[in-house]
Amino acid sequence: MSAIPLLLYVAASAAYAVHFGRRSDLAGRCATLLLAAAALTHVFVIGMQTMESGHLPVVGTSGAISGFVVLLALAYLYTEMMTSERSMGVFIVPAMAFLQAIPTATNAVASRPPVLESQWLAVHVLSLLFAYASFALACVVGVTYVLLFKELKAKHLGFFYSRLPSLRVLDVMNGRAVAIGWLFLTLGLVVGVIWLAQVQPGAVDPRVQAMSLFDPKIFVVLLIWLVYTFELYARRSLGWSGRRAALLSAVGFTIVLLNFVPIGYFATRSHNFY
Amino acid sequence: MNLFLLGASHHSAPIDLRERIDFTRRGVPEALGEIGRRTAVHEAVVLSTCNRSEIYTVCDNPRHARQTLTAFMSGFHDVPESELATHLYTRHDADVVRHLFRVAAGLDSLVVGEPQILGQVKDAFTVAAGEGRTGTVLNRLFPWSFTAGKRVRSATGLGEGAVSVSYAAIALARKIFGKLENLHVLLVGAGEMAELTATHLRAQQVREIGVANRTASHAEALAGRVGGTAIPWERVANELGACDIVVAATGSASPIITRADVEAALRPRLDRPLFIIDIGVPRDVDPAAGDIEQVFLYNIDDLRSIVQENLARRQSRLDRAELMIDDEVNRFMAWLRSRAAVPTVIALRERFEAVRQAELARLQPKLAGLSPAARARVEEVTRLLVEKLLSSPTERLKATTDEEDVAAYAEMLNHLFKLSEEPPGNGETEPDAAAGALAAFSRDRTR
Repeated sequence: MSAIPLLLYVAASAAYAVHFGRRSDLAGRCATLLLAAAALTHVFVIGMQTMESGHLPVVGTSGAISGFVVLLALAYLYTEMMTSERSMGVFIVPAMAFLQAIPTATNAVASRPPVLESQWLAVHVLSLLFAYASFALACVVGVTYVLLFKELKAKHLGFFYSRLPSLRVLDVMNGRAVAIGWLFLTLGLVVGVIWLAQVQPGAVDPRVQAMSLFDPKIFVVLLIWLVYTFELYARRSLGWSGRRAALLSAVGFTIVLLNFVPIGYFATRSHNFY
Repeated sequence: MNLFLLGASHHSAPIDLRERIDFTRRGVPEALGEIGRRTAVHEAVVLSTCNRSEIYTVCDNPRHARQTLTAFMSGFHDVPESELATHLYTRHDADVVRHLFRVAAGLDSLVVGEPQILGQVKDAFTVAAGEGRTGTVLNRLFPWSFTAGKRVRSATGLGEGAVSVSYAAIALARKIFGKLENLHVLLVGAGEMAELTATHLRAQQVREIGVANRTASHAEALAGRVGGTAIPWERVANELGACDIVVAATGSASPIITRADVEAALRPRLDRPLFIIDIGVPRDVDPAAGDIEQVFLYNIDDLRSIVQENLARRQSRLDRAELMIDDEVNRFMAWLRSRAAVPTVIALRERFEAVRQAELARLQPKLAGLSPAARARVEEVTRLLVEKLLSSPTERLKATTDEEDVAAYAEMLNHLFKLSEEPPGNGETEPDAAAGALAAFSRDRTR
């Protein structure tokens, strides 16, 4: 059952690739349908897991990845509807399929330790995951910006020229995705701090004791916050846009991924809830 | 009944003659009216664009049509026939169909695949149909050409990519800025190319067009024509900072805009892109300016090579387009041939039916003694007999490919079966015999 979303993500990736390569409208519509079906079944699977375990299954890193993938799919589908632009799918949907393979392989829902029994959990985790999904979109848009920019600069109009929207559209999309992501990142962090302030005094769980700026996961997430805050500032006040902003959001998302998978699984002492 | 086309286009006639035989000057409806009065053609459509003047007709005698239509053109446009004759071309039947389909698909255009021609063909047909000058054949041929033209274009991508320097520049601008509304354009130089590009940009609703030229009066004149404002020549470098698109097209021997100019102008605005179109020869903008991060600098050769690539791509799709056109022509001609045989088939069937009815009427006294069932059997047997006898001739007529053959067959059948004479006996044919014959005929066709 939990493998169905993964299969649909893989099928959607293939359809987006065909759409991008051959510029086939039919393949594009199929791709969107497949992705919507993947997101729907995925929401359904998460719903089932919630009913089974009695809490939102985003406790461990695997669960968080699954939540991240579904939020990314929904955010991407929303952007696609708003811009009627399907060419970005080929860059982003395969990443969903790849990431979704991790929770599908581990499968089990992590049980919730008593320390996480709080109404803050859902807000904290969901807003951070949504922020990461926005940053992922911004990164992909940024990468395609650079590809198109290079073709235009080299005066060699080819593959990307005929398939991507204009530089300006890509730039605006990147800016918006970063702004929305930053908003949710800040919200998630603030909620985390408030929550910690409530539970840390007198807590016995070693993970809660480890919650400090020196924990790798928390340290790196602050770094991420600084990177995106700087991008917003540079866009607004320094007049940065285009390639510089695009590269910056690619750097930011690379750090997000690092924090998510290797650090989340192996390095952190505070957030190891798998 | 024949399809016949008389016309001249950029393939056959020089521009000055094409201008003189442009039907739009005196009006296509008037031309159609005169064709109706002065020639014996049954149907006519006049297609008149800046690159072609063509008359599509349905007539009985192409040779006669050629003479009368040439005389009409000469008289209508006041051009001597001798001068016209060498530049006119004619097409007959399937070649008319092929010609129209190629025209509609943009294959016959000066710039292969250009999109305007399809709309012009549609307009030409609408006018002729409105004047009541089209009939069964052209009413089918022209709409068919719209579909065929669209099919060929979309299946082959024939119309993709800009094929003129100014359109290539616009396409690039759109790839950089998205919508061009609200952009600020600066024209440096007031020549023809600058004006053409400015006109295209104006059509894209740019916010502001500044015009600078060494001769201030020229700048003002061009600014007036494209709805912009004249800018003093010395201020060009200062203006750069406010611009999104710069079109440089002067005859200057040395670069007018240096890298340092561009750098200085862009420093305060950082990453906002600047698109510089340098169509001056020799170049007006220092090529090194293109190394600046947010500057996209395209010179005339860059734009030309884009155009060349697009043209080559269109050329590579021609073979496939011609094959598709062949296919459409064959299908149309099959329809047309089936039309040619229709009257003969109907007449033949009516004739046979009349004979059958007459015989049945003559035998009425003898058949009266039979039971109703037996009489019905007689009726059925005679009907089947006629059907069987006619099925092979109907098939053959339908399959005849050559229109002259159809005419010969019709003539022969007329003669052998006295189709044009009154039927024998009491001459009472069943009222729906003709309809039945037609139905049987179209049933055969659709099979």
